[in-house]
Amino acid sequence: MNSIVLDNTLPNVFLGRGDTKSDIWRQQVTLEKGKTYLVEASSGTGKSSLCSFIIGYRKDFDGSILFDGTDSRKLHTSDWTQLRQRHISMLFQELRLFPELTAMENVEIKNSLTGFKTRKEIEGWFQALGIADKMQSPVRLLSFGQQQRVAMIRALVQPFDFLLADEPISHLDETNSRVMAAIMMEEAHRQGAGIVTTSIGKHMDLPYDKTLCL
Amino acid sequence: MKLVWKLLRRHISLPQFAGFFFANLLGMLIVLLSLQVYRDVKPIFSEEDGFIRPDYLILSKRISALNAIGLGSVNTFSEREIRELESQPFAKRVGAFTASKYKVSCSMGIDGVAQIGTEMFFESVPDAFVDVDLKKWHFSEGDDFVPIIVPKTYLAIYNFGFAQSQNLPKLSEGVVGMVEMTIAMRGNGRNEYIKGRVIGFSTRLNTILAPESFIRWSNERYAPEAEAEPSRIILEVSNPADDAIVNYINGKGYEMEDDKLDAGRMTFFLRLVSGIVMLVGLLISLLSFYILMLSIYLLVEKNTEKMRTLLLIGYSPARVALPYQLLTIGMNAAVLLITACMLCWLRTLYLQRLHTVFPQMTAGSVWAALLLGVALFVIISLANALIIRRRINRIWNNKS
Repeated sequence: MNSIVLDNTLPNVFLGRGDTKSDIWRQQVTLEKGKTYLVEASSGTGKSSLCSFIIGYRKDFDGSILFDGTDSRKLHTSDWTQLRQRHISMLFQELRLFPELTAMENVEIKNSLTGFKTRKEIEGWFQALGIADKMQSPVRLLSFGQQQRVAMIRALVQPFDFLLADEPISHLDETNSRVMAAIMMEEAHRQGAGIVTTSIGKHMDLPYDKTLCL
Repeated sequence: MKLVWKLLRRHISLPQFAGFFFANLLGMLIVLLSLQVYRDVKPIFSEEDGFIRPDYLILSKRISALNAIGLGSVNTFSEREIRELESQPFAKRVGAFTASKYKVSCSMGIDGVAQIGTEMFFESVPDAFVDVDLKKWHFSEGDDFVPIIVPKTYLAIYNFGFAQSQNLPKLSEGVVGMVEMTIAMRGNGRNEYIKGRVIGFSTRLNTILAPESFIRWSNERYAPEAEAEPSRIILEVSNPADDAIVNYINGKGYEMEDDKLDAGRMTFFLRLVSGIVMLVGLLISLLSFYILMLSIYLLVEKNTEKMRTLLLIGYSPARVALPYQLLTIGMNAAVLLITACMLCWLRTLYLQRLHTVFPQMTAGSVWAALLLGVALFVIISLANALIIRRRINRIWNNKS
């Protein structure tokens, strides 16, 4: 997939409002593969909604979203499954980890589906992000910052054309967010993928091609 | 898959699943056992001699003292009476017994030396009413051999009455089947012989039976002038327990061989009882299915968020549904297996008892019940799998 086009898109809940001032809502926006985007937003402007629309979790929006020119509303269940497995990876703001599984199992449950990374590569990431000692711990016992790093690793164990990272570093310190940014960029470069991160203030230090205000 | 199972097995309620398991086991066992008992017991009532089926009745006219001295009404059935009987709603088919109208005598011997001989007679019914291998049951003009079916009581009379008092050897059914008889037929100025052999025994039909083609040919040959009105009628009915039959027959003053009707009634009663029991079993199965579905709904409800996450990270609805589908199918298969084993075990128990009461019984096969079990398993499992998949689809569509 080479492009995601947001064509006149607007969440249904905003439909009544007349004063929509945004770089994305009600605009024609093209997100291209290989480029890095920052979506800046204040709370309640529909940042997480945007991610949900793109990943196909929610469909309560006006206008359309096009993947390489194909309307997302026309995709079937199997198309969405393929899209989530091979084209768009998502780092959820609420992380969506499985509390009863260990940190490693949370990553493996995704990697067993895609078979994309070796165990060694995954362990290398745990090492780099400073949570190697937490690999076998149940993820519910980890701090939110540590969980964010596990979720990041899970988002990377699949092929993707775009990586959507919804507030990826909200609970990370400088050092860790730099390490995370480096790993993310490295993997995206390797795959030639685009990155879309959202932020409500603190944002990842990345060479952004474009900053969009929601 | 292992990890997905580790995730989704949370909140599985053991008591609920055990409840389903035993309820389904009980329901299935009742359904299959009622069918099996029905199939095993039915032959006792209906196919004891494998000759005349229970839905056949044999009618005759009452012989009064006046008949005996040659006065009073005739005791044969006229053409009109047969047609009237045929037109009754309960009658499916009507066949007449035709008797031989000439003198018949028969002698049995071994190595051509006549041992015993007797005067006798033949009767026939249409071939369609004879429930033996029709390959053996035929005669055509020019044949020098005629197959015969005799009542079992004849053999008993010989064995326990005659043979005993005369110091003659007792004969088994098999031996009698091997003995060749010489049948002498006299009439119309002829005196001719034909070979005959007993090919079957009947405990119910009280006559010596020869093929209809033989009787027709021999009556024409030895007694061409004799009137051919039958004195007994065989009647196939759809439901022997029908009151209308008894009313009609009593109204006409006919006589009926009673045990047929009793056997018919018993079969009907057996069918009714096993039908009711089977229905109760099905009801229990249905309720157990309901319990399972409620448990699954509850389970899916409790694990909805996890399933949604699995779907969002790229798992297909089919893969998310699979663990629960396999769980239910596995349980159904275990139920089927245990039911089959229990069925076979219970069957040997009751068959032992039945054999002591009816030593000659031949039990039905167990395949029909097992087939029904497999059919139930397939239906229940398919319904389970489908319902689970639909629940997952609801999560996919964000409806729950």
